[in-house]
Amino acid sequence: MIADEATLARLMAASQKGDKAAYNVLLAEAGMWLERYFRRRVPPHQLDDLVQDVMMALHNKRSTYDPDRPFLPWLSAIARYRWIDHLRKVYKHEADLLEDGDASVDSEEDVVEARVSLERLFVNLPAKQSEVIELVKIEGLSIREAAERTGQSESLVKVNIHRGLKKLSALVEKAD
Amino acid sequence: MNSPNSRKNRDSLIADLTEGLTPVRAMRFRDGALVVGAATLLTGLGVVLVKGFWFGMFEGEAAPFFWVTNGLLLILGLAAATAVITMASPKVGNRYDAPRWASAMLAILPLTALVAVLSDTHGAQGHDHGMTGSLAWMCIRNSLIASGLVAASIVLWLRRGAPVSTNLGGWMTGLAAGAIGTAAYGLSCPLDSVGHLGIAHVAPVAIMAALGRLTVPSLIRW
Repeated sequence: MIADEATLARLMAASQKGDKAAYNVLLAEAGMWLERYFRRRVPPHQLDDLVQDVMMALHNKRSTYDPDRPFLPWLSAIARYRWIDHLRKVYKHEADLLEDGDASVDSEEDVVEARVSLERLFVNLPAKQSEVIELVKIEGLSIREAAERTGQSESLVKVNIHRGLKKLSALVEKAD
Repeated sequence: MNSPNSRKNRDSLIADLTEGLTPVRAMRFRDGALVVGAATLLTGLGVVLVKGFWFGMFEGEAAPFFWVTNGLLLILGLAAATAVITMASPKVGNRYDAPRWASAMLAILPLTALVAVLSDTHGAQGHDHGMTGSLAWMCIRNSLIASGLVAASIVLWLRRGAPVSTNLGGWMTGLAAGAIGTAAYGLSCPLDSVGHLGIAHVAPVAIMAALGRLTVPSLIRW
């Protein structure tokens, strides 16, 4: 069970003051939250690297959290930023596909999490762009395989990935 | 779903980060506002010291368009600076619409200048448009120079923070610095014709916005 928003905000505020016990709990909770957050948008074998990357970012940028504001929208902005950066780096063909279980919808996702979710970013992309980003950057297909699957030319797949990632990076803080 | 190895790695990372925790001062909006406000004040003082203060503006010599132009520049500068200071503390749900509307308002000025120059209504009355030769260029150049300190203060603030919209951050940095720097330079410029203010005192904002978009993202990316 992951702690609620108010608890996380309280732990983060205490962490900024140097409370190591609070920070230890916060990192463990944030790790679990991030794991769930990325689960449907990152191949399983890359999940832990990305979660740890965001935890490092949380540590390095902890002063940018304003204790008067909610914690999860702050964490998810950082998570989205690192996720897009991660997608940009994934160019190699990755054979691993998402496991069936990873695509399940989490019934406990509340309203706040829905607003900050990664899905919210994808709905703002044209279908042709989100489709090829999903296939190449998340499911790990090659450019050629994605071209065959979607009916787009290989050049168009590359262009759509480039444009889609550029647009995603402009939408990091978008909530609706 | 996680292998025991990755769980061990994460636990080890958490232990390391916890061990290395030191107290930090939370970045608050008012701190950023103070930084940019101080840079604005210093810029204004620098302009007055180097180029002098045009007292005519308080002696009834300034045309209404002088106040309109500098007022719009200040509003745009305030809106863009507020947005860019907020960007240092990211949050899903942040919106940065105000500078867009303020930019649209400022864009009325060069259009007005163009119409005024083409119809030559002011020229016919004997006013100097101040658009030709070195006068316009001097104002553009000096406004760009005056924008430097505010731009630097914003970039430093963003580098301390965690901006996640780096391209937009570049635009906003340029807009804020250009608008504030040009308004500050306006303290010393006695040319108040529609043509001069609408072109030579708006062009620096556009130039700074483009410069900001080109140079700032690479400086604030993390």
